[in-house]
Amino acid sequence: MSGSPAFEGIVKSDYEHGFVTEIESDTLPPGLNEEVIRTISRRKAEPEFMTEYRLKAYRHWLSMQEPRWAFVDHPPIDFQAISYYSAPKHLKEGPKSLDEIDPALLETYNKLGIPLEEQKVLAGIAVDAVFDSVSVATTFRETLAQAGVIFCSISEALRTYPDLVRQYLGSVVPYTDNFYACLNAAVFSDGTFVYIPKGVRCPLELSTYFRINARNTGQFERTLIIADVGSYVSYLEGCTAPQSDENQLHAAVVELIALDDAEIKYSTVQNWYPGDAEGRGGIYNFVTKRGDCRGARSKISWTQVETGSAITWKYPSCILRGEGSVGAFYSVAVTKGRQQADTGTKMIHLGRHTRSTIVSKGISTGWGRQTYRGLVRVAQRAQGARNHTQCDSLLIGDRCSANTVPYIEVKNPTARVEHEATTSKISEDQLFYCRARGLNAEDAVSMIVNGFCKEVFNELPMEFAVEAQKLLSISLEGAIG
Amino acid sequence: MNALLDAGLAPWLRAIDPGPIPAWWQERRRRALESLQTRPLPHSKEESWRYTSLNALLDQGFTAPVQPFTPPPAELDALLIPGLDTHRLVLVNGCFAPELSSSTPLPEAVRIGGLSNWLADDPDLLEDWLGTAIDGKAAFFTLLNEATLADGLAIWVGRGLVIEQPLEVIHICSGQAEPPVAQPRLLVHLEAGAQTTLIERYVGLGKTPTCTNAVIEVSLARDAVLRHERIQTESNQAFHLSGLYLVQDPGSRYQGIQIGLGGRWARTELNVRLQGPHAECLLSGLYVAGDGQLLDYHLDIEHRAPACRSLEHFKGILSGRGRAVFDGRVLVARAAQKSDATMTNRNLMLSEEAEVDAKPQLEINADDVQCSHGTTVGQIEPELLFYLRARGIEARLARRILCLGFASEIIDQIADESLRGHLNSVIGQRLG
Repeated sequence: MSGSPAFEGIVKSDYEHGFVTEIESDTLPPGLNEEVIRTISRRKAEPEFMTEYRLKAYRHWLSMQEPRWAFVDHPPIDFQAISYYSAPKHLKEGPKSLDEIDPALLETYNKLGIPLEEQKVLAGIAVDAVFDSVSVATTFRETLAQAGVIFCSISEALRTYPDLVRQYLGSVVPYTDNFYACLNAAVFSDGTFVYIPKGVRCPLELSTYFRINARNTGQFERTLIIADVGSYVSYLEGCTAPQSDENQLHAAVVELIALDDAEIKYSTVQNWYPGDAEGRGGIYNFVTKRGDCRGARSKISWTQVETGSAITWKYPSCILRGEGSVGAFYSVAVTKGRQQADTGTKMIHLGRHTRSTIVSKGISTGWGRQTYRGLVRVAQRAQGARNHTQCDSLLIGDRCSANTVPYIEVKNPTARVEHEATTSKISEDQLFYCRARGLNAEDAVSMIVNGFCKEVFNELPMEFAVEAQKLLSISLEGAIG
Repeated sequence: MNALLDAGLAPWLRAIDPGPIPAWWQERRRRALESLQTRPLPHSKEESWRYTSLNALLDQGFTAPVQPFTPPPAELDALLIPGLDTHRLVLVNGCFAPELSSSTPLPEAVRIGGLSNWLADDPDLLEDWLGTAIDGKAAFFTLLNEATLADGLAIWVGRGLVIEQPLEVIHICSGQAEPPVAQPRLLVHLEAGAQTTLIERYVGLGKTPTCTNAVIEVSLARDAVLRHERIQTESNQAFHLSGLYLVQDPGSRYQGIQIGLGGRWARTELNVRLQGPHAECLLSGLYVAGDGQLLDYHLDIEHRAPACRSLEHFKGILSGRGRAVFDGRVLVARAAQKSDATMTNRNLMLSEEAEVDAKPQLEINADDVQCSHGTTVGQIEPELLFYLRARGIEARLARRILCLGFASEIIDQIADESLRGHLNSVIGQRLG
């Protein structure tokens, strides 16, 4: 199969979403010091405690070392060369409706295939779109407000519900957690805040489109989702980024908190710019995502489809604290070209009768380098804990690599932990079977790969599943051969 | 040197004087010492030492015995396994003791002797041989072994020779006054097409804490076949470190069985390099960690040539406050297409306080491969226990039967029946 010219053309297919919207940005000059942090906090009119929190994080960050353990290579990042704040200028006052939004911005979203005005009518999805760092539009406020759901930007939440934010922010990912989470705590620009009150089943699937726009602007999103007792929410996160030659740093933090009987379903389709064929440019996606199943019988599930970014480095995790709580992680990651991905999950079983499921599917092509890194820990008190892990890797081409690095730590005899992993290529038999039925090689591969990922796609909300399948086929186009 | 001195490892460096040693040997020791000085002591931030602390070992104040020691024959006899018919080779505190070993003649093509004998008979061969299997991958304690290298045993099996009677190497660590540390070195080389069985046993004499830091180098030439059974039944006071370095040429086959039953703190590192096409390496292991024991396994399997096969199958039983670590890595190099690797690790936990940490890793750089690994941790199925109880078997015995059944998958791979029986009875005792 290798060297087949049939796919040559598609290998070189360009990044579809590579365009830059010309909007004046109100951007701070590059560099990081206490003054920059105070400025960010002041511009966002944050309460005093937040400024202090940021400064505390910044001072701690100064004492930290950049981690080196992941299987990824990149030139050293100059943190002083990054601009830590960028807001589209026209939005300073904050729009009241879609009409007030810069038409150029709307055009960007249209190119991405998420026309807000259409969505309002058709899709029934409330979108909190983040254009660079400031939220530009929020729809379906009324529907959500009726249910008592708070869905807004985190800056707004800090102004309107400071006590709620103060209670939960940093309670799952403390600023001392790791180098990038600490940086995020110091400089986070904006993000999403969701609060689902007791017993409420969120009437809409909540969704945020992230988009890095201004060149040379690191994006430091902060997401905080709280599901109060007996509530349910499904949250969708999707990303695309315009083509750019500079490596852009994306160090987001996502914190989820599920109280008794609550359920949070968090889905991600990540398609940041992966860099060109030689690996130049592309996003560095260093993300800390963690969910805390604080209440009994609570449930948190992470589903991700990772096709973009030059480097992906993230481990959406679950702390299973509440008795009988459930954690799940479903992931499809694709690396092609020179992409590197070091991703996986952590399931920390603390409570009794906690359960977790991990399904990870990795597809590596070209020079892609991929690592599954996971931890399953069963604490001594976690009576009757249960985990099943499956991670499969598919290799296409002889220059890519796939690594599996699971850690399993069990301190309770009643725990049942199972881990399985396989690495293989698409078998000639499978290909032959499809070819013999008249499929061309590419469709055959696409079909087999989709089958390989099906377990994960089944976990995605309907709209995302379709998008994810499309994204996967686009990603694999030309990578095969 | 400072790190070593601070850690109290300096007394390890007091080696028994082997008589005059040549310049190249001096040089090896010096280089090893030099690299030890540049390295920190293994600590928990190091990936392979993440779950294993050195403190308990350092606290013992082990010292390399200066005086050669010969155990009384009665004590030695007690260590032998009745019915096991082997050609016996005994090392006491790392030194080959011909007077305790079998004197029956072996075929001429087998050359066996202490390193000092080799030095007298064939120094050039020894110089080329020593350290080749390690090939720059020496772990900290291997370097420590190298820095004090005084004696050891080397076994050379000639071309095409098939030895029916197993060779049995017995490592004894013992001392009179201070807690002793022995650092044996064992070299095994099979020439093309040779076949043999090697049983390696680590045993303790007396009740005082002992420490063994063994380095074993095994090289198999084309189509050679080695069955290697390594059995560690030291006392529960013993500390044990062993580093096995295995290199395989095309078509060679290695079947290794690791049985870890003894030791308060035992760490085994297995390094395998499949450097010729169609080589095959089958590794299986059983560890039974009771109260206060730590049994620690590290596997590093490198597929460097195409079409090799490796199978790693380790099982563990943990009771009391027993702990086990299984850290396995399979690396498939870019050139190693058509590799086939399977790693499995199954653990049976019998108590509330036991702990197991497993880390089975795959690093795959070639696409046309079949690699998989699986790990499980669980307890005895209540249904199985119920089945036996319903047939009038008391709970303790039922549990023992089920554990021995779990272990039998590995024990049954041992070739000799008397040795199997011996191991079953030791495991039975340990499970109580």
